[in-house]
Amino acid sequence: MRTLLAAATAAFCLGLTGLPAMARDLIVTVAKPDRLYVIDAEARSVETDCKLDFNLMPGVIVMSPDNSIAYILGNRWEDVFGIDLATCETVFSAHQSEGDIRRKTIASLAVSKDGKELYTVRNPVRLLADRYEVMEPEFAVYDTSAGLDAQPARTFPSPRRITVMATGKNGEVYAAGHDVYAFDPKTGERTVKIANANWDRPTYSPPDVLAFWPIGTQADEFLLLYSAAKFTDETMSEIADFVWGYQSIDLTTGESTIQDFASLEVIMFSAVRDPNDTSKLYGVYTQLSKHDVTKKELIKRVDLPHTYYCINISSDGKEIYVGGTNDDIGIYDAESLERIGEILLPSGGDMAAGTMHVISTGS
Amino acid sequence: MRHLIPLNQKADRVVAAVETDKMDEVRAMQTVVAGCASTLDPGWEVDPFGGVAALCQPMEADLYGCSDPCWWPAQVPDTMNSYKDWNDGADNAGKDWRSLGTVFPSDSET
Repeated sequence: MRTLLAAATAAFCLGLTGLPAMARDLIVTVAKPDRLYVIDAEARSVETDCKLDFNLMPGVIVMSPDNSIAYILGNRWEDVFGIDLATCETVFSAHQSEGDIRRKTIASLAVSKDGKELYTVRNPVRLLADRYEVMEPEFAVYDTSAGLDAQPARTFPSPRRITVMATGKNGEVYAAGHDVYAFDPKTGERTVKIANANWDRPTYSPPDVLAFWPIGTQADEFLLLYSAAKFTDETMSEIADFVWGYQSIDLTTGESTIQDFASLEVIMFSAVRDPNDTSKLYGVYTQLSKHDVTKKELIKRVDLPHTYYCINISSDGKEIYVGGTNDDIGIYDAESLERIGEILLPSGGDMAAGTMHVISTGS
Repeated sequence: MRHLIPLNQKADRVVAAVETDKMDEVRAMQTVVAGCASTLDPGWEVDPFGGVAALCQPMEADLYGCSDPCWWPAQVPDTMNSYKDWNDGADNAGKDWRSLGTVFPSDSET
């Protein structure tokens, strides 16, 4: 009874019961050793504390379209678990390794816009007695209604080196690798959506892209930062600048953008744009930076108490959340970049490379 | 290449790429998160600017975020595959780093 009461309370608090509720933002993240947290962003308090029964490394999270299920890449990059946020129950699992074949997924996780399919890119290796046989990577499609121990409904060949992914409203799955690809999950057909390693920029080095946190959902985009050396001419003998740029795919229209916006003065591990003003981009690492990508201007930059990996933004664009690394989420005013609050995670464990989502719930 | 002899299969393939004019297809992997033993980042020693100021601050903020993906296979045990329990019970790197030890192969592995 206590469990049922707790589940009902959690369901009500999460606005998942179908009853009218105030629109509000919830932060979803993980922390060592075994916790999935749902946090009321405005109240700065943990609302749901799910104890997981699997190793959550690396803790890459993608949300179902209705925000009721958090899909977590865990068990040391091998398995996917779907956790119902209202009950903390595991409602989906896919164990990708089998027999002598070990399959790791390097952050490649996405869910279709109708919530019916889940996608991973799996990197198989056969463990032989005297050597490892590296096999071809696979783009795998799972049926999310398959429950526990789901097997792929379909697999297709994939390029190597795929990391984060996102799904567009048109059904395409965008995947970051040496280029940003668009997969058709029905046929496995693949096109280059944004050229990266193969970009046509004769005065640039190839870009360096750290694509690890699937966090662009607030602005409905697949957003990645890149850095590159820019040379004075095509002989590439003299460097003119090291630049930051962003590349984005609008997840509703499918339109893509790639452009430089600043000189590389500090490192940024992840970035988000303001959902209400996409000219404003916020990036995080040991500093929090606010850029105007239209004017290509740095608006403000502040030092942080420690390095944070993962950044996100409130639905109204007024608060910035920085997390990952340690056990605290820092809250910053988007206008002044002043630290206006923080949330300490009860387990006291590190978020490490885990994802930190912001979801809007209620109406 | 006259004085260099490939010592393993990967080196053989690099030589073959040189001979067939396909070196453009050979890419250094040092900046790609590609799993254990595929990367050899300088880790905590030097940042992209050649100094230390742009490394994660403090180093403990970076420890599990980088060891979970085996970003630095040479500096910490491989918790993805070989030493999965290395940091068990040390969930907060900033507070628990003293309990992180050195690992050695077991007798059956030597």
